[in-house]
Amino acid sequence: MMSGGPAVRVSIESQCERQVQEVSLDGLETYVPPLSMSQNLAKLAQRIDFDQSSDSEQDGPERESREPWSKPEPEEDEGAVKFQPSLWPWDSVRNNLRGALTEMCVLHDVLSVLKEKKYMALDPVSQDPSVTKTPQVFQLISKKKSLATAAQLLLKGAEKLNKSLAENQEQRRQRDFNSELLRLRSQWKLRKVGDKILGDLSYRSAGSLFPHHGTFEVIKNTDLDLDKKVPDDYCPLSVQIPSDLEGSAYIKVSIQKQSPDIGDLGTVSLFRRQPKAKPASQTWHVKLEAAQNVLLCKEIFAQLSREAVQIKSQIPHIVVKNQIISQPFPGLQLSISLCHSTGEKRSQRASPEKSKPDDHLYVLEHNLHQLIREFHKQTLSSVVMPHPASAPFGHKRLRLAGPMAYDKAEISSLQQSEGLLEKIIKQAKHIFLRSRTARTIDTLASRIEDPQIQAHWSNINDVYESSVKVLITSQGYEQICKSIQLQLNIGVEQIRVVHRDGRVITLSHQEQELQDFLLSQMSQHQVHAVQQLAKVMGWHVLSFSNHVGLGPIESIGNASAITVTSPNGEYTISVRNGPESGCKVLVQFPRSQAKELPKSDVLQDARWTHLRGPYKEVHWSRMEGRNFVYKMELLMAALTPCP
Amino acid sequence: MEAPPVTVMPVTGGTINMMEYLLQGSVLDQSMESLLHRLRGLCDNMEPESFADHELVYLLKGQQGNPFMLRARRSLLHPTAPWHLRYLGQPEVGDKSRHALVRNCVDVAASHSLPEFLNEMGFRMDHEFVAKGQVFRKGAMKVVVSKLLRVLATGNTENTEPLSLSYLVELSVLAPAGQDNVSEDMRSFAEQLKPLVHLEKIDPKRLM
Repeated sequence: MMSGGPAVRVSIESQCERQVQEVSLDGLETYVPPLSMSQNLAKLAQRIDFDQSSDSEQDGPERESREPWSKPEPEEDEGAVKFQPSLWPWDSVRNNLRGALTEMCVLHDVLSVLKEKKYMALDPVSQDPSVTKTPQVFQLISKKKSLATAAQLLLKGAEKLNKSLAENQEQRRQRDFNSELLRLRSQWKLRKVGDKILGDLSYRSAGSLFPHHGTFEVIKNTDLDLDKKVPDDYCPLSVQIPSDLEGSAYIKVSIQKQSPDIGDLGTVSLFRRQPKAKPASQTWHVKLEAAQNVLLCKEIFAQLSREAVQIKSQIPHIVVKNQIISQPFPGLQLSISLCHSTGEKRSQRASPEKSKPDDHLYVLEHNLHQLIREFHKQTLSSVVMPHPASAPFGHKRLRLAGPMAYDKAEISSLQQSEGLLEKIIKQAKHIFLRSRTARTIDTLASRIEDPQIQAHWSNINDVYESSVKVLITSQGYEQICKSIQLQLNIGVEQIRVVHRDGRVITLSHQEQELQDFLLSQMSQHQVHAVQQLAKVMGWHVLSFSNHVGLGPIESIGNASAITVTSPNGEYTISVRNGPESGCKVLVQFPRSQAKELPKSDVLQDARWTHLRGPYKEVHWSRMEGRNFVYKMELLMAALTPCP
Repeated sequence: MEAPPVTVMPVTGGTINMMEYLLQGSVLDQSMESLLHRLRGLCDNMEPESFADHELVYLLKGQQGNPFMLRARRSLLHPTAPWHLRYLGQPEVGDKSRHALVRNCVDVAASHSLPEFLNEMGFRMDHEFVAKGQVFRKGAMKVVVSKLLRVLATGNTENTEPLSLSYLVELSVLAPAGQDNVSEDMRSFAEQLKPLVHLEKIDPKRLM
């Protein structure tokens, strides 16, 4: 065990002889003062148990004293020792040293074995987590503190954000002047003149040539009382529009029966719509839009009145106050008026004649707006731009007038031939003609049941032309009797009728003409229906005429007639139908069935009795059947004997 | 046979005496874009119209001192468009406070035989150039932004080189004589272009 290796010096130091009584705050140790000799002796004496000296009670202490004896006995063979071996001061030292030596030797052996690496290996031992058991409380406290600081920072930041958000919302509610100005600028043209902000609400940049300046001024609204609550419709920005554009306006186009006296004209048209309440507190965009609309209406009316005065027409147009009156058709009056109400208290009382609410042709008002915008666009089209750039503005085809030596006719054909007024009058005429045609057809359809009249209006129309397909049919026989189909093209002043058989007829605007024409067509239809029915029933058509020259003269159109004979030739039906005279049906019987025929000696053979004899009129009104063709079919069926 | 009557006096009247009101300025190439945007916003709402013109300046040298100058201009982009012949008179000296240059102006459209005609009349071509750029309009006012290019070989408009690194900006109105509000309108329009380009009246006599 202790064979090899150099000797190791072991230094022995006794423990601190004196115990530390206390450690002061600055680290100074205060030792317990060492025991004096007498104190030491007293202490030692106390340790001696004088009761032990007697032999009777030696069990306990003897045992106690014998134990340390057994240890040094093999070592010390001497007799009694002065001290009890347990009281030998270096015993414990020696034991400790021996233990240490043992441990060291074991360690040395283990290490030498380990060095071999054949029989033993080193493995790390997992850290005992209970090592940190003691500082955990401190960790908790420190974590809590750091979290608290972090939370404080975040809360401060959140508070700041909240405050700024609330401020923003407050600002937005109050609608800052500058932000309103920005919004205004995004929709309207503004410019700064001196210290005033002016804007342009006219259509000049869109191509209008109307001389109105259309300038409005932007004003800052500073009459807000900050102490009182901000009203909901408060706006820091307000606009001041020119005084003649205040209120609202519209152009009223209406067609009426001609007023008998010119003195009736000149009454200002009633402004039917209610003006909005509190015009002063309207927001700026409503105000500006209304003012722009007023300006456009004024421009339209100015253009129309200028043309009404300048353009020569057969019946002159009358311009009175705010109305332009013209006559599209005799007995009819078209009035275009500019209705402008300033929105203040209605000083004008309602005029005695109440204009009917559906008198106003909104379509034409809309078309007027569109036409004036078209006119604006034309001044801005690139056709007007000069090429080369130094040339003056003007239509490019007119620029060729000089070099190509156009004469007056060619130049006038290039220039705009129709003005706004002419266009709108034409449109009004067409609208009126169309509505009157529809009314005529509808009254006829409701009045006359027997041939039915159907009108299919075309969806796609022009401003100057519409078309309708009129079919005259009999109920229940639509597939058989469809020979009368009319296509009506309603123009501005005339109606062009294209018949199925190719005839083209032009009717004037007179309502009566169309009605008469349709009535004559209906009467022709009945006869055509008989013809078609005969084909179906197997009867033969003997004669057919659309316009017979016999019989009473019709005042409307002509009568038509047809004669059909039965399959076996025995019976004949003759029909004459006129628009006014109605229908007349005669049936021819074979001679054998006629009773009033006188017997004659001339005819001796029996077969002559099979010829057809006299005619007999049918009481058509007492005939069974709901319409003419049905009655005819029944008649034909009755006259066709069963085989 | 009698000779047909020939009027001895020159034919006067029949046309209104038109005056051209003019303001000119220039802008460098790099600022052209911003100027175009500004003009697009201020002027009438149309698609910007580009042009490329070839202008020939003809002089008639008479016995007197001042030669008579006529400007003939044709469009290179629209070859079928007629030629434009222009006479510009002396600037009116009247009112110093008038803001625009005012001079008499006669505009005539001519067919494509104009150069030969002028040559036959005795005019000689003094110089020619090509102008390319854009035209804007605001009501009656015309704004022309053009780049002037020098023609290197006479008659050959393909071979050109720019005269300078800037664009010429001209604001002009064609109006009958005696309308002073025209120059007021022009001045207020020029004010709106102020920081980008300064339009002022430039007397051509001072440049000679």
